[in-house]
Amino acid sequence: MFKKPTLTTTLIVIVGFLTLCPVIMLLLGSFSKDFVSFGQFTTIKYVEAYTDPDFAAILWNTVIFTVGSALVATLLALFLAYVNTRTDLPFKFIFKVIAIVPMMIPHILFSVSWVLLLNPSNGTLNRLIMDLFGLKEALFNIYTLPGMILVEGLLDLPIAYLIIAPAMSAFDVSLEESSKVCGASNLRTLMRVTLPVLRPAILASAILVIVRSLASFAVPSVIGMPGRIYVLSTHIYRNIASGFAADFGKAAAIGMSALAASITLIYIYRYLTSESGKFVTISSRGFKPTLIKLKNAKYPLFVIVGILSFILILLPVLVLFYTSMLPYSMVPSAKAFSMMSWDNWIEVLKDPISLLSLKNSLFLGVVGATIGTTLSIFVSYVIVKIRSTASGLLESLSFLSFSFPGIVIGVGFMWFFVRTPIYGTITALMIGYIATYLPYGIRPISSAFVQIHSHLEESSRVCGAGPFYTMRRIVIPLLIPGIVSGWILMASMFLRELTLSVVLSRPGTEVLAVQILHFAEDGLWGQLSALGIIMIFISSALVILAAVLGNKLTKMEVVNK
Amino acid sequence: MEIRIKGLTRNYYSEGKQIKALDGVDLTIPANKIFTLLGPSGCGKTTLLRCIVGLETPDAGEIYIGDDLVWSSEKGIFVPPENRGLGMVFQTYAIWPHMNVFDNVAYPLQTSKTPKDKIRQQVAKALKFVQLDGFENRPATKLSGGQQQRVALARALVAEPKVILFDEPLSNLDAKLREETRKELRSFLTELQITAIYVTHDRIEALALSDLIAVMRAGKIIEIGDPKKIYFNSDDKFVADFIGRANLIKGKVEKLEGEHAVFASEIGSIVALNSQGIPVGKKAMLCVRPEFIRLAQQQTADGQNIFSGKMESLIFIGEAYEGEIRIGDTLLTTTIEPTENIVEGDNISISFDPDHCFLLSA
Repeated sequence: MFKKPTLTTTLIVIVGFLTLCPVIMLLLGSFSKDFVSFGQFTTIKYVEAYTDPDFAAILWNTVIFTVGSALVATLLALFLAYVNTRTDLPFKFIFKVIAIVPMMIPHILFSVSWVLLLNPSNGTLNRLIMDLFGLKEALFNIYTLPGMILVEGLLDLPIAYLIIAPAMSAFDVSLEESSKVCGASNLRTLMRVTLPVLRPAILASAILVIVRSLASFAVPSVIGMPGRIYVLSTHIYRNIASGFAADFGKAAAIGMSALAASITLIYIYRYLTSESGKFVTISSRGFKPTLIKLKNAKYPLFVIVGILSFILILLPVLVLFYTSMLPYSMVPSAKAFSMMSWDNWIEVLKDPISLLSLKNSLFLGVVGATIGTTLSIFVSYVIVKIRSTASGLLESLSFLSFSFPGIVIGVGFMWFFVRTPIYGTITALMIGYIATYLPYGIRPISSAFVQIHSHLEESSRVCGAGPFYTMRRIVIPLLIPGIVSGWILMASMFLRELTLSVVLSRPGTEVLAVQILHFAEDGLWGQLSALGIIMIFISSALVILAAVLGNKLTKMEVVNK
Repeated sequence: MEIRIKGLTRNYYSEGKQIKALDGVDLTIPANKIFTLLGPSGCGKTTLLRCIVGLETPDAGEIYIGDDLVWSSEKGIFVPPENRGLGMVFQTYAIWPHMNVFDNVAYPLQTSKTPKDKIRQQVAKALKFVQLDGFENRPATKLSGGQQQRVALARALVAEPKVILFDEPLSNLDAKLREETRKELRSFLTELQITAIYVTHDRIEALALSDLIAVMRAGKIIEIGDPKKIYFNSDDKFVADFIGRANLIKGKVEKLEGEHAVFASEIGSIVALNSQGIPVGKKAMLCVRPEFIRLAQQQTADGQNIFSGKMESLIFIGEAYEGEIRIGDTLLTTTIEPTENIVEGDNISISFDPDHCFLLSA
């Protein structure tokens, strides 16, 4: 089909450039004096960055923030997974919704909705409580470390759930049953048998959440910065965003430690997930575990799960929509409802920068995801079908960017782009996006390739079909579900992209998430909410459209004849 | 259609080592016979099959299908698999999951642009033949293992190829279904009068299905013969051992007696078939299968090929006893009628028929 060695080499060059270029530039940049010309080799930026008196506090904040988020997300995920796989709780479909839907709501909007609810001056929920109990001061202040931890923990809950739930349901129940036969109670069995056996999965989930929250920018910027609580990602941002005195060298020097921490953690994560394969015993007997009868606890538990899913899914959208209809923030009341209007929406749709960001994000989502998916198809083909040392190298290269925090990669790319004519163009953003999110495309497509047993192609050849006919009627139709989910994942990531964009976006290349961040910084909550709802609508529409299209394409083959 | 293979060689390289998957294979597969390639895993049987189909390219040699040269390293001829006009059933069946039964079976006809009504007729005929009529619209994913196997067979047959190839097609079925399908397959193939090449590592499958069996080992064909010849009177020690359970007894040829020879062995002298004509004085190996070791009455233990020993172990497996008999240092495995009245530790006499034990050159 292809000249194989050349294809592999070409892909190694492309993917190698995408993943290694920002890292190398970051390293070079951290030892350079000037931004545009590298200047002399110097360690001054490291000295500046790490002797900063604030640095210890920032590091401490980062540790508390990431570990705290990991605890919140993992504990909640454990609770949900256990309740789902082991108890007779009604309406279990809700767990699928919890696991998938929050991924559709961009992190920045989720963070904003919590600010709207719980900020100390006019947060809707705070005001409601104050009115209700006649309090003088707001009860909650979201602009604190616990506030950041709560929101980040909720945001990372789906990831933790997706790691823990499969381990929980693959768990060999006879281990538990033998504990019960030995006379242990349900609770004791849970503490002494179930949780220890699941330890690798629990640790893996905690570590992945730490990596994600280390790279997180939405929560630290929307919630942390107004409260003057800086973590590594916002500290890096502060160094490059402060107008005249942008110091990309110092940002690079700080970025190096974030990068090192992230890579180390991912390495530990890989080790743990390969270990957990040995640990969790998957029973092939197909026994369903006997569900624990909740009896009286059934409804309280259901209420908890219900509230959780309301907080995760409906609340952010409701708050945003409510805010978008009002001229300024107020507690829901007859007066508030009478003042509702579409003014904020009209304002946003008239605002040239908002429109430009909408156009740019749509372009990046559709064109970027299409290019990214095409690249992913070729890379997956080489990884799965050509097994060689070179394809192994390509595989490691293409998954490397998983462990890179977006803002750090952004700084690395800045060091590169500033030397090229594409600096400040939408192409620069697209290259950065594809480099960072390539694994999102490769994963579903390569697993689709794995499922196409070579016999399926070979038997087509023996049946008299040439290579191209085989490609058209066998390989492509079988790949389509994987391609579609790869495209959806990439497109929805690109539409909401924030961390990389805050670094790479220049006047003229604004994107949705960056524009929303600007609205938040200016306190234009109404316009922010209107644009946010538009963003959620577009990304959901894109997902549904692609899913329907993919379904049609797969079915066509059958109906066709 | 006859298939002729000359000097076929195929090497693999794995971790710097060269592995000879096919080592100069010369073979003629006669027309309209069920021809089985039998051997342990890694012997090259599947590689040979894939070379015939064209899914793998040999390093050297020639392959003729009928009068057509489809592969020649010297003349630089390679006919791709789609132009060889063969049918094949894969080990995994390779039923395309995104199509229904009709499309799966119709595929070979669609590739050759057959008119639509002809396709419909042919597919109906093929499905009827494998007893799956009425399954046309069933999605491929909604078939049981046995049904998938039949769809694969129907697909291989639908274009009426002159040769059909099977790559361990029964190995994914459970034991009971495998036995039934084996019988069915035998009757299908006999009815069709087609050249069938069948690859398997299962000796019972090979014996039950084949007109001719070729036993392979380490990239070479060691022996070709009909099932009875291979089982009763193989020429090769490896084949004799591989095709069924065998007791191999060392010794020397002492005297020739027409077709038979007197063989001086560890347990005494034995009269045995000597169809290879091993000369007097030469070291050889005697092969006797467990089911041909008979219990003899102790009292009349004085005839030919009668030995006394001790029942070392005895396991009841339902249809028979499986026993081990110790004669001196030699341990012989045997199957004994389940009604026999013996226990472990008994002293017994055994005999073997001179026509049912044979000599192999050591």
